[in-house]
Amino acid sequence: MLNTILPILIFTALALAVIGALRRIRLWRQGRPAPVNLFKGLAALPRRYLVDLHHVVARDKMISNTHVATAGGFVAAAVLMILVHGLGIASPLLGGLLLLASASMFVGSLFVARRRINPPARLSKGPWMRLPKSLMAFSVSVFLITLPTVGLLPEGLLEGSTSWFLVVVLVGLVAWGLGEMFFGMTWGGPMKHAFAGALHLAFHRRPERFSTKKGGGGRSTGLKALNLEDETAPLGVEKPADFTWNQLLGFDACVQCGRCEAACPALAAGQPLNPKKLIQDMVVGMAGGSDANYAGTPYPGKPVGEHHGTPHGPIVAPAALPEGASLVDAETLWSCTTCRACVEECPMMIEHVDAIVDMRRHLTLERGKTPNKGAEVLDNLIATDNLGGFDPGSRLNWAADLNLPRMADLQQVDVLLWLGDGSFDMRNQRTLRALVKVLRAAEVDFAVLGDEERDSGDVARRLGDEATFQSLAKRNIATLSKYRFQQIVTCDPHSFHVLGNEYGELGGVYEVRHHSTFIAELYDAGRLTFSPWKGGSVTYHDPCYLGRYNGEFEAPRNVLKALGIELKEMERSGSRSRCCGGGGGAPITDIPGKQRIPDMRMNDVKESGAELVAVGCPQCTAMLEGVVDTSAEVRDIAELVADALVERPAGEASGASRQPAATPTAEEVIV
Amino acid sequence: MSETIRRDPRREWIARNRLHPEHASVLLEMGNAALSEWPGPNGVVRKNPRAVGFIGPNGIKRIDRSGLQQGGQAAATTAAPQDSRRTVTIEDPAFLVAVVPDMTGGRLSGHDKDLLGLARQMADADGEHPGAVVAIVFGEHKAAALGDAGIDRVVHLDDEVYTGFAPEARLAALSAVEREMAPRFWLVPDSQLGGGEQGRRLAVRLGERPATQVWHVEADEHSATGWRCTARGAAGTSDITRHLPRVVLALAECAEPVSETRHAAQPVELNQPLPDVLGRIEDMGEVPVDPASVSLAEAEFILSAGNGVKDWEGYHHAAQVLGAAKGASRVAVDDGFMARDRQVGASGTWVSARVYVAVGISGAIQHLQGIQTCEKVVAINLDERCDMVKRADLAVIGDAGDILAALVARVERYREQQQENRDAA
Amino acid sequence: MPHNVNTLNDAELSVAVLVSVGRHPLTGRARRADHDARAVEMALSLGDASVQLMHAGDGGEACGDAMRGYLGMGISRVKRINQDPDADVVPALANILRFAAPQLVLTGTRAETGEGSGLVPYLLAETLGWTVVSGLAEIESIEQGVATVLQALPRGKRRRLKVRLPAIATVDSSAPAARQSAFGPARRGELADCACASVTDELQTQWRVQPARKRPKRLKIVKSASARDRFKAAAAKADSGGGQLLNDVTPEQGAEAIFTLLKEEGVLR
Repeated sequence: MLNTILPILIFTALALAVIGALRRIRLWRQGRPAPVNLFKGLAALPRRYLVDLHHVVARDKMISNTHVATAGGFVAAAVLMILVHGLGIASPLLGGLLLLASASMFVGSLFVARRRINPPARLSKGPWMRLPKSLMAFSVSVFLITLPTVGLLPEGLLEGSTSWFLVVVLVGLVAWGLGEMFFGMTWGGPMKHAFAGALHLAFHRRPERFSTKKGGGGRSTGLKALNLEDETAPLGVEKPADFTWNQLLGFDACVQCGRCEAACPALAAGQPLNPKKLIQDMVVGMAGGSDANYAGTPYPGKPVGEHHGTPHGPIVAPAALPEGASLVDAETLWSCTTCRACVEECPMMIEHVDAIVDMRRHLTLERGKTPNKGAEVLDNLIATDNLGGFDPGSRLNWAADLNLPRMADLQQVDVLLWLGDGSFDMRNQRTLRALVKVLRAAEVDFAVLGDEERDSGDVARRLGDEATFQSLAKRNIATLSKYRFQQIVTCDPHSFHVLGNEYGELGGVYEVRHHSTFIAELYDAGRLTFSPWKGGSVTYHDPCYLGRYNGEFEAPRNVLKALGIELKEMERSGSRSRCCGGGGGAPITDIPGKQRIPDMRMNDVKESGAELVAVGCPQCTAMLEGVVDTSAEVRDIAELVADALVERPAGEASGASRQPAATPTAEEVIV
Repeated sequence: MSETIRRDPRREWIARNRLHPEHASVLLEMGNAALSEWPGPNGVVRKNPRAVGFIGPNGIKRIDRSGLQQGGQAAATTAAPQDSRRTVTIEDPAFLVAVVPDMTGGRLSGHDKDLLGLARQMADADGEHPGAVVAIVFGEHKAAALGDAGIDRVVHLDDEVYTGFAPEARLAALSAVEREMAPRFWLVPDSQLGGGEQGRRLAVRLGERPATQVWHVEADEHSATGWRCTARGAAGTSDITRHLPRVVLALAECAEPVSETRHAAQPVELNQPLPDVLGRIEDMGEVPVDPASVSLAEAEFILSAGNGVKDWEGYHHAAQVLGAAKGASRVAVDDGFMARDRQVGASGTWVSARVYVAVGISGAIQHLQGIQTCEKVVAINLDERCDMVKRADLAVIGDAGDILAALVARVERYREQQQENRDAA
Repeated sequence: MPHNVNTLNDAELSVAVLVSVGRHPLTGRARRADHDARAVEMALSLGDASVQLMHAGDGGEACGDAMRGYLGMGISRVKRINQDPDADVVPALANILRFAAPQLVLTGTRAETGEGSGLVPYLLAETLGWTVVSGLAEIESIEQGVATVLQALPRGKRRRLKVRLPAIATVDSSAPAARQSAFGPARRGELADCACASVTDELQTQWRVQPARKRPKRLKIVKSASARDRFKAAAAKADSGGGQLLNDVTPEQGAEAIFTLLKEEGVLR
């Protein structure tokens, strides 16, 4: 009896799964086309899954082991089950393997179940609460129906007339398991993540993020340019169908594990953003419907169930409709600091920031609805090439006494010092002065662009104004192309990121270094000598655009070590560093929350017990210094270095390369 | 009281004895607050040469022989300035220069006086054949001193059709003046108070192309009118030098106000009755506006609150009494005490107020950047070492609430006095 | 600021906005002129009014950039009357307004380039025989050919006026700020060029135009008989270097000092 029912059940589930898959694919294909090499992607899938994705998941060992057991067990069990029970290839070997696989899956599902007892707030509830039971139903039932195959159970046990009850129970379990695992996978159950996730990895919009056999995966963090030449192309994303198809696919891959929301500074500050909910809203929009079924943390201050959308309806309500009448409120999108903490944490490698900027592009370029000071800042950028609307001819006024060498006079130098818009900020001018002092002490051949420099376009781009960004970028590239230099050094990680990672697409390829990296190199080359550190305890705040965006975690720490500072690391540091709240134009759009992000960060500093927090970013300095009543001082690495500089003995003044200077000798220190 | 001078030998002795502990106070008593001089026992003025003079800015003792400054005290009040103005009456003017002052609140404004100064210059250019300045004044006026401002003739049009905002009626009257008197020049203040608008209407009606935003006028023999002017153009970014036309709309400080002569300000009546004008603009009166809601960038007087303000009601009350726009530091905004659009500073609004009063603001660098162009900064703060106090032109150390309350009381007293004066006048 | 403007008459209210080429005060780049953009904003806030933008000028590149700025506010088309660079635009504008016959014409108080005298609205009103009203802060309502408007006075005061239409009204910086100009609509919007004979502005050719000089700050002239006083006034430092610091004073003394300063500066009314 069972032998007849099982194949029917299995193939029905499979057929339904295929139909579901086709329907799902239809949903994704509503999106715009994207250039993806399908075959190459599919071929790279196993490695992307087993290596890259596993790296992220393995940050939590417990979960990674659970997932290996459950998912590995399930994949093996599903394939073997089709062979053994579906096609009736009743070989004892296959049967044995199937038993093993289902047992492994069962063990895994026990751990999954344990996690669902008092789950942390970041996990979604709802259908996800039944998933461990479904996993158990599947694994137990498969195990049981396979027992007779390998002869561990008398064949007749399930044949007799008295065993009909047992059979019904078993068939019920099998149906439940198959329903969740096969049918649910493509019809939108929790297991959807496996199906969509696998394809998402294969067709990811940033294949550079994944490692290949030749080498480790790079960071791919630069935003992708809009084609402004093509007047028919949409400017950003207005409706879910305006995303590319693989972005839609990516949204579908979300497992709602909530790692993103645990890392999100805006959510922690009570601003109306939760990256997980945002991705789920995109899924709702793609399929059409309301967000009422969402079972996780809502956007702070916005009850679940009031928003709904369709694939071809606007994501953000146009001015004519009240807020809340569509999928997402604008202030949700403007709360993001683009710190990439969510992307860094996402085990499915979903690109939240890309999606947010895409939607911001529509709001800014089509609707002209950049909130608060956004419009003013963009107008300033257009009219004066800087954020504050200052006279572009006064860019170098702060350095009137420094006699900075100009690129226009020298034409050719080793280092082009990119000052950034911090030139207009009195606080950042102190950092710049310090940096100039350091460069001079190390006798670096450098020059500045002076009045020829323009804002890098970082803020314009992240506020969604791609047109202004490209205009600034193109003019900066034209200026830079007039001169010859080895590398660009800047103390602004935002300029660093944009010049290094985003100008390339527009034709400007440069070697860019953050000043901490450059100082570390100078020190290693023996061109700088420091007096020992006499101050109190120090911690270091990783700027998002230096750390997560560009992977530079070591150089600043090396510089601080060279200064003789022993760092007291904050709980969230390195790739998990918490944003200062200053990125992505967030201080400009200024969406209110319950508390401020920099206050939380200074609290982190306080908890570390440090008396001074070293930073490497003008934005971070401004944000963290803006916190009142703090115990810790905020100083840029360049300032710390400049203060510790020791004149080199006269004899060495010309010798550029003292022998590997690991540590300064005692005499040097005393000088 | 007895007229007899009574001697007090002890006090005289103390006054002579510099080392006596009561020396200073006795001197003060005897000399009616002039430490260095006192009437001696026989009515002879005695001087104490050591008490003469004051410590100069460089720490060196200076002696001022003019007798104005004594013993380190504040300069004594001088007698009311003598009236040294020359009275000028122009009986038979060679030509007329017409001026239409704004007369806000019935008084000549500073702008009006500057303009009259300019009119005077033009009228008096040829000493042989002086012109006369005729002012066309609408509505009631309280200025007794029209003549002091350099006005020879006054056409006073005190009819209720001219009260309030009545550009059409006023234009008709000015056209009548033009017909009857044919002044050589028309000068109108290019102000927001109505002059700018009235002047443009007049020029267009007369068919003259006026010079607007004029800030400098000088004689030029090559010009048909004998004058040339410099006017601001292109929203204040360019200077246009041109011959002076008949109708001039001039900016404040276009000339020095009249200060040395006094003129007749003789009333003149128009011969013809003024025609009735069918107005197409109806004035419904002023609408009350809360001064605190004036946009920060435009405000000329800002009372700005920061972290140090504890009594918010008192602060808002003070802003209302003083008539100041409200500003705030970033912290006050973040803490929810003030609206975001009230934030002053690099990340808020850049302000350019004439007076900026920072209450309990320590002066973060971003905030100081935002008030760079303010003329006078007053700091009220508890911490005398904070950056705002260093920036301030006047810093008062103390509790913000108490000081604001005292200031409110002082201003209210001042207002009452003014009201009394006005009622008396 | 949403405006609930009722237009009771059946005919749709037609509003024309005269726009000009703006110039950024620091960089001199062409942009939408601030006052004109506020006029456009005011027209757009009139609810169901039909708004048309008009510009008379030389149609150069700067003109194109500036007009895109207005189009970006969500305007589909700007009517551009091409004129010679040294032309007087009043005849051309008067012509087109007579033809288009809008009920209300809005424009900025003065242009950011050229003479910037602010005379154009007055000249047009005189030519067309329409009412002119200056410094609008808000249009409260338009009913049966009469507009109720708020006129801006200095220091944030407002005056309510009733103006018979057709009228020309000017808008300055006290009106609500213009909405953001967005790239998409700016790119799509149409510049409808039309030709009109140019009348050269002869007078303007005789002028000498230079960048604005800084005006000298007026010195406090001391009229005094005593040479000593005049000398002291002339020799006194213009700005007292450090500020005055009042420590250990009673609140009353502090308040008195502040009061004196406020009165000196003339900000107390």
